[in-house]
Amino acid sequence: MVEGKRKREPAVAGAQVEEEKKSRDGKDKKRRMLPSLIKNKLKRMEVHAKVKREKRVEKKKKAKARVDAHKRALELGEEPPPVRIPRTIENTREPDETVCKPDDEELFVGNDADEFSQILKQEHAPKILITTCRFNSSRGPAFIQELLSVIPNAHYHKRGTYELKKIIEYANKKEFTSIIVVHTNRREPDALLIINLPDGPTAHFKLSKLVLRKDIKNHGNPTSHKPELVLNNFTTRLGHRVGRLIQSLFPQDPYFRGRRVVTFHNQRDFIFFRHHRYVFESKETKVDTKDTAAKNDKGKNLIQTKMIARLQECGPRFTLKLISLQHGTFDSKGGEFEWVHKPEMDTSRRRFFL
Amino acid sequence: MPRTTTVECPGCPPIRALTTDVLGLVKVVEVSGKIGTPKVVETWGPPDASRSVVTASFADRKTNPLLAVARKNGLVEFLNPLNGNALATVTVKDCVSSSNSTEDELVAGLHLLGTKGTELSSKSSTFLMCTEKGKACLKSIMLGDASPDSSLADAPSTWNVCGAGNVLCSSVDGAENFALFGGKGVELNVWDLEKCSKIWTAKSPPCNSLGIFSPTWFTASTFLSKDDHRKIAAGTNNRQVRLYDISAQRRPVISINFRESPIKVVTEDLDGYTVYVGTGCGDLASFDMRTGKLLGCFVGKCSGSIRSIARHPKLPIIASCGLDSYLRFWDTKTRQLLSAVFLKQHLTSVLLDSHFSSEEIEPADQSSDLQAIDHSEVENDDELLLLTRKSKTSRKKVQNKIKAEKIKRESQYDEMSDEDDEPTTFDADDDDEMPATKRKKTLGGKEKNVRLKQKKSKKRIG
Repeated sequence: MVEGKRKREPAVAGAQVEEEKKSRDGKDKKRRMLPSLIKNKLKRMEVHAKVKREKRVEKKKKAKARVDAHKRALELGEEPPPVRIPRTIENTREPDETVCKPDDEELFVGNDADEFSQILKQEHAPKILITTCRFNSSRGPAFIQELLSVIPNAHYHKRGTYELKKIIEYANKKEFTSIIVVHTNRREPDALLIINLPDGPTAHFKLSKLVLRKDIKNHGNPTSHKPELVLNNFTTRLGHRVGRLIQSLFPQDPYFRGRRVVTFHNQRDFIFFRHHRYVFESKETKVDTKDTAAKNDKGKNLIQTKMIARLQECGPRFTLKLISLQHGTFDSKGGEFEWVHKPEMDTSRRRFFL
Repeated sequence: MPRTTTVECPGCPPIRALTTDVLGLVKVVEVSGKIGTPKVVETWGPPDASRSVVTASFADRKTNPLLAVARKNGLVEFLNPLNGNALATVTVKDCVSSSNSTEDELVAGLHLLGTKGTELSSKSSTFLMCTEKGKACLKSIMLGDASPDSSLADAPSTWNVCGAGNVLCSSVDGAENFALFGGKGVELNVWDLEKCSKIWTAKSPPCNSLGIFSPTWFTASTFLSKDDHRKIAAGTNNRQVRLYDISAQRRPVISINFRESPIKVVTEDLDGYTVYVGTGCGDLASFDMRTGKLLGCFVGKCSGSIRSIARHPKLPIIASCGLDSYLRFWDTKTRQLLSAVFLKQHLTSVLLDSHFSSEEIEPADQSSDLQAIDHSEVENDDELLLLTRKSKTSRKKVQNKIKAEKIKRESQYDEMSDEDDEPTTFDADDDDEMPATKRKKTLGGKEKNVRLKQKKSKKRIG
C-alpha cells in the first residue's frame, strides 16, 4: 500500500507540474473559469473563498498604492495624481439637445413672457391655496399642516364636494396665484397637483417616501420667516419650466436671518424635497499634535477657530416625480399636454427629462 | 461601457419647412444634401411674446410664394417666404370692420387664396380670415409696402359665420370656392365664397344609449380631397374623428373614437381618403376614412400636444409640430420617424415648401437678395425664381396619379354614402376591427352604385 502510494505520488506531482505549466500558458483562461462551474460543493466553496480573498487583498493593495502616491507627491511638492471620477448614471447621461444653455437669448425672452414672470419679478406676492382630494384622512391632514408651515402665505381650504374647476374659478376670483392639491390614496398622500393661476401650466407629480416631521430624529421646528429656496439640477427646458413653477410658490425675498432653507434637488428625474435650518458656528479645535510637538516650547494653548455650518432638518421629507405637465389649468378631458410621460420614452436608464 | 440606445433616424430627403411659434418667430428648417438631418437655417423676427403667432397660411406657388401670419396683437403680416421680408401688414379690426368692438379679436383661421389657379399679378393677394367670434372676411390686399395701414385693393366682403360660440377651425377646399367653419358651440358649416352664403350646416349626432348628449365642440376640420368639397373630415374635443358628406346627410356618416385626449388637428392626404390626426397628448395616427379604420400610429417619443400637421405635396412625408417644441418628419408609408429638430419654443404651425431642391440654394439666396434691394423689379425676380425652382415633370406625374385615384375613390365613396342614415360609431383603439356587419354592407354596396349616381345628378340639378 505504502509503496503504491509512493509510486503514485510522483506521477500525481508530475501531472500537477504539467497542469501548472498549462495554467501558466493559459493563465487568463483559468482565471476566467468561474468557481460556480465546479460541481463539487466543498471544492467550489473553497475556490470561491480563495478568489474572494485574493480580490480583497488586491483591492487593498491598490488603495494603499494610491494613497502612497498621493502622499509622496505632496511631500515632493508635485502635483498629486488626478482623482479618478467614478462613472455614474448621471455622468453618462445621454446627450440631450433640450438642455438650457446660458447664452440662449430665446430662453430669456421666453422666461420674461411666461406665466411665472410676474411673481418672479416680485410684481405679485404669491398666495397659495392648498386643498385635498375628496377623501382625506390620517397622514393627509398632517402633511398639509406641515406644508402650511413650509410655504409662506398658504391657505388651506376644505375640498368639500366642489369640482376642481370650480375651485380654480374661486381661487382666480380671490387672487390666489397657485393651487396645490394633495391627493391621498388609502390614507397615504400619493400625488401632488400644482396649478399655476390664472392660466399657467398644471404639473402632476407622483409623491412618495413621505416622512413627516415627527418621524425625523432630532428634528427642529421651523420658524415663520420667509425661507430661502435651493433648486438643483433643473437643466432641460422642461426642467427649467418645472423649476420656475416651483419657484413661483415661494416669496422671492427670503429673510436670511431666519436661516431657513427649502431644497428641491433633482436627481435622475426625481425631485427630492428637504427643509432645513442651518447655523454657522465657530468651532474651536486644538491644533494637530505634530505641530504642537514642534512648537512645544512656545506654549500649549494653541487653539484654532474654524467656521462650520450645521444643519438641522425640520419639516417633511418627500420625493416627487413628474407625470405630466399640462398646458393651461386643470382639464382632464380637453386638456393639452406640454409633456406626458409615456412608456415608449423609457428606452434607456440614462435618459432624463428634467 | 454605458449602453447608448439612441435610435438612429434615417434622415430626410431635401425639404424646406417653415415653423411659427409663440414668441412670434418664423424659423426656416432645411435639409441639404440628398439625405440629411434638418437644420435651422434662418430665424425671422425679434422674439416678442405679444407677437405670438396664432395661425399661418402659405401660398405654395412656384413663383411669388407668400406667407401670411396672424399674430396675437391683432396684426396679419404678409411675408416673403424666401427671405422673410415683410410685404404688407393689416390689422384684424380693419378687415372685420366691426365698429363697436374695442378689444382685439384672435384670428381663428387664415387662408391665402389663389394658391394654384391663374397666376395673379404679384402685387395683390386675396385671403380669407375668420376671427374667434365668427366674423369672416374675404379681402384682397396690395403687397409691397410694409406700412401698417396699406391700401386695400377693394372693399372687403364680411359676414358672420355664427351667432354665438367660438370658431376654432376653418378650411378652404382645393378649388377655393367653398369654406368650412366649426368650433366650440358652432356646428360645421360650409359657405360659398363667391356668393358669401351658407350652403350647408351639420347637425349634431343624437344622444347615445344612456341619453347623454355631448355638446358641439369642433377642434379641427378639413376637406377630404382637393377637388371635392362634399366630403369633410372633422375632429372634436370629445375624441371623435367624423366624416361628413354634404350630399348625403347632415349627421356624420362615420364617427370614430380615438384614444383619450381631444383631437387637435386633422390633415388630409393627397389620395383623398387618408387623414392624419393629432391629439392633445401627442398621439399621431392615420385613418382611412372610406372604412373608418385606423391605419396605424406614428410612434416616436412625441410627448406634447400636436398643433399642426403638414403633408408634402410630392414626397411621402408629413411634418408635425406642437407643444413639445420639436418639428418631426415622418414617412407616411412606413410611419417611421425620419428626423426631429428641436426648435426651443412651443410651435403653432408648420408649413412645407414643395418647390425646394437642395442643389440650388445659392441662386435662391441671390434672388431673394435682389428682391430685398428692389421691389419694383418684380418681373426680373420672377424669371430668376423660375430658374431656381424646377421639377415640373414630377408634379405632373403626381397629378396624373391623383386623377387615377380619384376615379377609384369616388366609387368607394358612393358605396359609403349609401349606408343608412344612422352614423356608424365604433372604437378604433389601435387594433380594433370593424364590426363584421358593417364591413359586409360596404362590400355589398356596389349594385347601388349606379342608382346613387343618378340620384346625385338629380340633386345637383335641383
